[in-house]
Amino acid sequence: MPRTTTLECSGCPPLRALAFDALGLIKVVEARDKQRGIPQVVERWGDPESSKCVMAVSMIDRNSQPLLAVARKNNEIEVLSPVNGDIQATISDASGLDICSEENNIVGLHLFGKQKSELASGCCTLLTCTTKGNASLRSAELADSSTESSHIDSPKTWNVCSGGNILCCKVDGQENFALFGGKGVEINIWDINNLTKIWNSKSPPKDNLGIFTPTCFTSATFLMNDEHRKFVAGTNSHQVRLYDISAQRRPVLSVDFRETPIKALAADIDGHSVYVGNGSGDMASFDIRTGKMLGGFSGKCSGSIRSIVRHPELPIIASCGLDSYLRLWDTKTRQLLSAVFLKQHIMHVLFDSKFDFKGVDSVPSKGKTQTEIMLSEEVEVLPSKRKKSSRNNEHVEDGSERKKKSKHSKERKKSEGKDGSEKIASRDERRKSTLKKKNNS
Amino acid sequence: MGGKRRKNDDSDVEDSETASSKRKKTLTTEKKDQLRPSMIKNKEKRSELHAKLKHQKKLDKRAKAKSRDAAIKRALELGEELPEKKVPRTIENTREFDETVCKPDDEELFAGNDADEFSSILHQQQTPKILITTCRFHSTRGPAFISELLSVIPNAHYFKRGTYDLKKIVEYAKNKDFTSIIVVHTNRREPDALLIVGVPNGPTAHFKLSKLVLRKDIKNHGTPTSHKPELVLNNFTTRLGSRIGRLIQSLFPQDPEFKGRRVVTFHNQRDFVFFRHHRYIFENKVVKRAESKGRKDKDDKSDNAPEQKTIARLQECGPRFTLKLISLQNGTFDTKGGEYEWVHKPEMDTSRRRFFL
Repeated sequence: MPRTTTLECSGCPPLRALAFDALGLIKVVEARDKQRGIPQVVERWGDPESSKCVMAVSMIDRNSQPLLAVARKNNEIEVLSPVNGDIQATISDASGLDICSEENNIVGLHLFGKQKSELASGCCTLLTCTTKGNASLRSAELADSSTESSHIDSPKTWNVCSGGNILCCKVDGQENFALFGGKGVEINIWDINNLTKIWNSKSPPKDNLGIFTPTCFTSATFLMNDEHRKFVAGTNSHQVRLYDISAQRRPVLSVDFRETPIKALAADIDGHSVYVGNGSGDMASFDIRTGKMLGGFSGKCSGSIRSIVRHPELPIIASCGLDSYLRLWDTKTRQLLSAVFLKQHIMHVLFDSKFDFKGVDSVPSKGKTQTEIMLSEEVEVLPSKRKKSSRNNEHVEDGSERKKKSKHSKERKKSEGKDGSEKIASRDERRKSTLKKKNNS
Repeated sequence: MGGKRRKNDDSDVEDSETASSKRKKTLTTEKKDQLRPSMIKNKEKRSELHAKLKHQKKLDKRAKAKSRDAAIKRALELGEELPEKKVPRTIENTREFDETVCKPDDEELFAGNDADEFSSILHQQQTPKILITTCRFHSTRGPAFISELLSVIPNAHYFKRGTYDLKKIVEYAKNKDFTSIIVVHTNRREPDALLIVGVPNGPTAHFKLSKLVLRKDIKNHGTPTSHKPELVLNNFTTRLGSRIGRLIQSLFPQDPEFKGRRVVTFHNQRDFVFFRHHRYIFENKVVKRAESKGRKDKDDKSDNAPEQKTIARLQECGPRFTLKLISLQNGTFDTKGGEYEWVHKPEMDTSRRRFFL
């Protein structure tokens, strides 16, 4: 027999993730089973086009009226509903930033969950940042997908850096501060409310050989949700650095990880573990208090990791990258839960944690009960047939059993079909409800 | 002790049986499971049994072949369909299931292909122009290999490496409208690695190069003409494979001159890419029926004129080598800050039946 070793994936609890790829497609991956679900692509939004390559994404993850913002390569920002993918607003940057060009793409995007000012709830506020360091705060009106939405007020624009390229942009949990960093740009933190720079990092001193490594920050993340003082940054020279604003301008702690640049960073909700992914597909978790590596994530990852996301509730992280797999990992055991092949280079991944599975889940459970009933009926029927068959020879028994099996499978199919239709119905209902809310507001 | 003796007795019985009749084959096979030569400690007895078993195996095999031949012959006579030929199980056809294998009806694949770095060359909007250079130091087989590469790839230009950084060379190639760079790396006077860089933003593939045979070492080799060659790419099935295939395809012009009858082959088998360069010719050959078939046939078809048959003959020219992918990097050559699309890692080598191309 051919000896094969397949990676055993134990499956994952019900969850919903959105993957954004290089052709501008958004793929919805869902695991629906209660116990050990295998995630599958359920929906695909958008048409493949290389100019629509996703550069940055941001999402408001809340129960009512969640929103998703996507920045594309042609400098368009789309605001979508993460439930059904309807475009609620498109903002083309041509009017806002005349400086936009091929090399000046949007790299950072943040959608504010809290309302900044006394605006109507049909508005959303966005922070964008381009490669050249043009940051802007703007708000857009949510409308139906057909109409082009316009800015309510002119965007507040400022420049974050004088030279170099911005590569990472993050907003802290309280949404008061934003950090920017990149190639040749030291990390600087801005107060968003009054647009002032409050802090600027300083590069570490030359090493013992007198060699100075040029600054190049590739990723950064705030460590805790409610504090903006501590953050972690990954550099091109494969270092993970911990900064503390209140302590000093140089890194408090600096750890080396493998030999390729750090490409993705994510902080755990416990406030001290950090997940690190690099350019050759290695992933590990660090305890950033001590700088010790807790362990590596091994799962035949062969392409650069572009994004790591921690699920807000479940102990799961998702990673994606240039090997076009979306992988889900357990944070405790660091085992691969499952991997989904998504065909394109994936740029970003997000969890939709507030997605209501009850609407979807209740129906399959009904289906299960139906099948169970059928099963029980069959069980009741079985003995009498057995008696008959025992009189006859064995072949007949086989035939009857086969028939039963086929019947059973048919019934299953039927029940599945029902599920599907009902799911769609439930979805529609939800959509209606959101619309109603809008109207009310 | 008692047990052992009993076993020996059994073997004696079995021997007599096997010698006497073939119809108890099934019985003997059952016995074989029970008693293996390795269970006997006496060497003489053991070797005796072993020889017997081996002989039996040979007879079985012969009988099987005979019956198979008979079945085929009977089928031929009766004009029935021939019995199905068994396909031997190889590593390739028992390959591990791979979900990344491209499917012909996958529209996303085509959309992705249209958007990738090679599409402008493959759609003939741009003619390939190749820059060939070497590592810092090279000698003997290196230059010979490069001169042969220059004769294989049309519109290829050799530049001396000097002491330039590869990144500087990439910049230069960008300015001079080259579409690819090939770097031949030499170690111990033997070319051992090949780097193919797509310019301006194409991927960088790093191959291990082995089994290089130069033209002068090939018997009865031909000298290639300067016609644009035809290209054969075999077995690049997965996503990664198709990407590598397209990278190789972008090195050659997309409008071959069939007059030249030159063909360049990249054949992928178990993740090794074999390079061959041939000249082919179609010849009309008189096929003598008499020799190929029995005399009966000859009598039947004696009225037929000697049949004309076209056969293709190959003459090998140019180098012969094998490539194995080590890494595929996104963007141009950048070892420090580069992102890999695929890197070979030792942890992937847990199965012989897993292939990536």
